[in-house]
Amino acid sequence: MDLSEAYREKVRDPRTWSGIGLDPFYGPKERDQHYDRALSDPGEYPFTRGIHRDMYRGKLWTRREVCGLSTPADTNRWLHFQIAEGVSGLDVIVDVPAILCVDADHPLAAADVGVNGVHSCSLRDMQTLMEGIPIEQVSMSLIASSLTAGTFLAQYIALAEGRGLDPSLLRGSIQNDPVHMRFCGAGPAVPLDLAVKMGADVIEYCVRNLPSWNPTTVNLYDLREQGLSAAQEVAFGFSTAFLYVEELRQRGLSIDDFAPRLAFYCSAHIDFFEEIAKLRAARRLWARTMRERYGAQDPRSWRFRFAVHTAGSSLFPQQPLNNVMRVAYEALAAVLGGVQSLHCCSYDEPIALPSRQAQTLAIRTQQILAYETGVAGVADPLGGSYYVEWLTDRLEEEAVSILRKIEEMGGMAEAVRNGWVDREIEQAALEEQKRIESGERLVVGVNAFQSEELEASTPGGLLRISAEAVQAYIDSVARLRRERDKAAVQRAIQHLRAEAGRGPHHNLMPAVIQATKALATHGEILGTIRQVYGYGYDPLGVLESQF
Amino acid sequence: MAASVPIRVLVTKIGLDGHDRGAKVLATMLRDAGMEVVYLGVFQTPEHIVEAAIQEDVDVVGVSCLSGEHLALVPRVAALMKAHDLRDVVLVVGGVIPAEDIALLKEAGVHEVFPAGSRVAGVVEFIRRSVTPR
Repeated sequence: MDLSEAYREKVRDPRTWSGIGLDPFYGPKERDQHYDRALSDPGEYPFTRGIHRDMYRGKLWTRREVCGLSTPADTNRWLHFQIAEGVSGLDVIVDVPAILCVDADHPLAAADVGVNGVHSCSLRDMQTLMEGIPIEQVSMSLIASSLTAGTFLAQYIALAEGRGLDPSLLRGSIQNDPVHMRFCGAGPAVPLDLAVKMGADVIEYCVRNLPSWNPTTVNLYDLREQGLSAAQEVAFGFSTAFLYVEELRQRGLSIDDFAPRLAFYCSAHIDFFEEIAKLRAARRLWARTMRERYGAQDPRSWRFRFAVHTAGSSLFPQQPLNNVMRVAYEALAAVLGGVQSLHCCSYDEPIALPSRQAQTLAIRTQQILAYETGVAGVADPLGGSYYVEWLTDRLEEEAVSILRKIEEMGGMAEAVRNGWVDREIEQAALEEQKRIESGERLVVGVNAFQSEELEASTPGGLLRISAEAVQAYIDSVARLRRERDKAAVQRAIQHLRAEAGRGPHHNLMPAVIQATKALATHGEILGTIRQVYGYGYDPLGVLESQF
Repeated sequence: MAASVPIRVLVTKIGLDGHDRGAKVLATMLRDAGMEVVYLGVFQTPEHIVEAAIQEDVDVVGVSCLSGEHLALVPRVAALMKAHDLRDVVLVVGGVIPAEDIALLKEAGVHEVFPAGSRVAGVVEFIRRSVTPR
C-alpha cells in the first residue's frame, strides 16, 4: 500500500467480531430538543459526537509517530523505517535549537542539536530530510511551533517547488503556535507580538495558497504537559487560538476564510473517561464559539479537528513496560473521542529517545486499535452514556468558566503579560507532584508496587546519537554559509528587512520563502525580522547579524 | 547552631532544553523543606552554573536535563567544580536519564541521579544525608 492509499484507508468491514452488522452510529429512537441542542448526530452541529457522520468508515485516523533525531540524514532513514512499518502519515519535529530560532552552528547549540528533534535550518537540510519521500502522496505533519514554523514550512514549500510540484497540492499541517512556546522554555525566542504576527502570517499565507494544508495545530498538548487540568487544557488552548483569530480578523479576513483550516493538538492523558469527555466537550465548545461568538456561517468553520499526542508526562521510567499499557489506554481514549490524527508515545520516552523496538510497538498499538479491536466501526460509541455525557457537560462548564476569567482579565495576551498563566501552570505542576508524593494519586511502579531497584538497562536497548555524525552535520551548516551565493542571500535578506518594516499586518511569508530559496538559514531570516521589531538578532544574545 | 543554618541548593537547567516543569517544582518543594534555593532557570552553561555555585556559596548543585544533553554537558560541570575546588558541594542530576547513563554520570563526578518519577522526599533525604553541616 502506498502512502496516499494508507492515508485514505477506512474501516473495511464494519461488523463485530462475531459478524453482527453495525450502523455508522447509534442514537435515541426519537430525537428531542435536548439531544439536538447538546449532542446531535455525528457530523451535525454542535459536533459533540464527532465531525463526520461516518467517522472512521470514511477515513481512519492518520497513524503517525513523531520523528526527529540526530542529523537530517538519520531522521530521513527513520522516516523510511516508519513507512515500512505501516504508518499512514509522517510527523517530523525540530530540535531545541530550532525551536529557539538559532542555527545548528550557534556557539551555544552543539549539545542540543539532534537530541530532541531534528535540526533543519536551511533548504539543504529539508532536502536531505525528505530524500526519497513522495511528499505529493504523504500527509506531512511538521512540528516547529515557534517562529521557525514559518521557516520550516517555507523550506517544505521550496522543496516542493524544487521538485516541480505544485505547493497547493501539499497535504498536512504545520504546528505553528508560537505563542504557547513561551510556556515551554522558549520565551526569548517568541516575544508575544512577533509570536502572534508570525503565527497569523503562516495561517493567512496557507489559506490563500495551500488549500489542503492545515496552517496551525494550536498546541493544547504542551500546556497540558505542564500539569494543567483537562478543562484548563481546553480553555488555555482556545484562548491562545483566539489571539490568532483576532489578529486575522484585524487583517480583514472573515472568520470563514480561515476557520475551516484551523486545527488543534490535544493530549490524551491517563484518566480514560475524562479525556474522552474533554475531547467531546472541546468539539461542542469550539463549534458554539465559532458560530455564536465569531458568527461563522460555513459549517466547516464549526468543526473542531484535532490530533492527539498521548501524554508523555503520564509515563515513567520506573518499570518502563508499564508505559505500553498506559499508551494503549490513552490511544483508545483518543479514538473513542473521535481523533483525526494520532501519535502514540514510545514506552521508553521518559528514559531516552525511542528505540526502534519501542517505536515499532507504538505503531503496532495504533494498528491493533484500527484493525483488530473494532472500536473504529461506530462513531462516538460512548455517546448517551450517563456518565460520559455528565462529564462532558461538566468539563465544558469548567472550561467556559476559565475562559470567562481570561476574558475578564483582558484576554490571553493580558493573562500572559501579567504572569497569570505562568502562575496557574506552576501551581498545577506543584499540586500534581504533591499528589504523587503523598500517595493521594497512585502511580503503579512509581509510588506503589515499586520494584526493588531501577532496571539496569532500557528494555528495547538504548538509542545513542552519534556525536561525530552530529558534529559533521553542524560543520555542513557552517560550510553552507561559506559556499552559497552570498550576494543572493544578501539581496533576499535586504528584501525581507524592507518587507518586515511594512507593519505587523503585512505578510512576510513570501519574503521568507524567497530567502529560504536563496539558502538563508532560519537563524538569519528570523533574526532579521526580530531586529526590525526591536529585538536582538540572536534570541540567546550571542550572535550579531552578518547582513 | 549548625542545625539552624539552612542548606543552600542551586537548581538549574543546562543547555538549551526548556523542559523546566520538574526543575521549578523541585525548587519550590526544596524551599518548602526548609532549604534555601537559588533557581537559575533555563539556558545555563556549565561555566555559568559553577560560577553561580561559587558566588551563591551553595551546598548542592542540582542540574535538570530532559533532552538527552546530560552526557555532553554535565561532566563539564563536574570537572569545573573540581577545578574550582568545590569538593564539598554535592552534584545531583534529575530528568530523563537512562539507567545506562547513571554510572557514566557518577564516574564523571555526579553524586546521585534522580530520574523522572523520583519522589522529592527522596531528593530531600539524600541532600540532608550528603551535605556536611556547616
